[in-house]
Amino acid sequence: MAFINLSPPTKERLAVLAKLTAKLFDNNYNPTGIRTGNKILRQRLIGPTVTNWYPKPLIKKREITELFPEFQLIDLEEKQRLDDIARLRKRGKGAPKKGQGKRATVGTKKKK
Amino acid sequence: MNFRVLRKARVLRDIKTRETVAMTELIRQAYRYITRNEQISPRIRQQAQLMLNSFPRAARPTTIKNRCTETGRGRGVLRESKLCRYQFRLKALAGEIPGVKKAIW
Repeated sequence: MAFINLSPPTKERLAVLAKLTAKLFDNNYNPTGIRTGNKILRQRLIGPTVTNWYPKPLIKKREITELFPEFQLIDLEEKQRLDDIARLRKRGKGAPKKGQGKRATVGTKKKK
Repeated sequence: MNFRVLRKARVLRDIKTRETVAMTELIRQAYRYITRNEQISPRIRQQAQLMLNSFPRAARPTTIKNRCTETGRGRGVLRESKLCRYQFRLKALAGEIPGVKKAIW
């Protein structure tokens, strides 16, 4: 009975034990709780999932026209856009030409 | 004002944001790791922080907005179907969303 040490182990010895345990079980030994940034390395990359939100058009008009140049196809979206612009122009509400805008004309007037 | 065009512009902006995030993600995470690592000298960490600040606004993942794939609406979008609430209702009633049925009791 005399051989058994009944006093609790010292702090230093416990620290050595913790370090050894961490090494054996492949854990991180970080007694001071210092920030290592491992949290960021553990994060998954979101790029591939994030870019897949909007469905991509299966086939574009340009691809068809490149394959079959003899077809006279109409891009409906482009036609709609041009029609919109034409309608606005007719009513005098269209965008001004380059250099004719509000900002551009104000600058030139001051210079004169 | 032409709302159709406006909606489309917002969607295009979001697509661009998503592409920017995907493109810059890896290098941003590397810089983020350096800034958050307290074992690295403060000088280097600060430089990494400055580099992070030099990225465009669209490189931050929080600028991504989940928009309705049908209408481009930015609010009330259900993540599972990628549709805004009204489009979801329309499609569900038409039976185009699998596993969704109108509750009647």
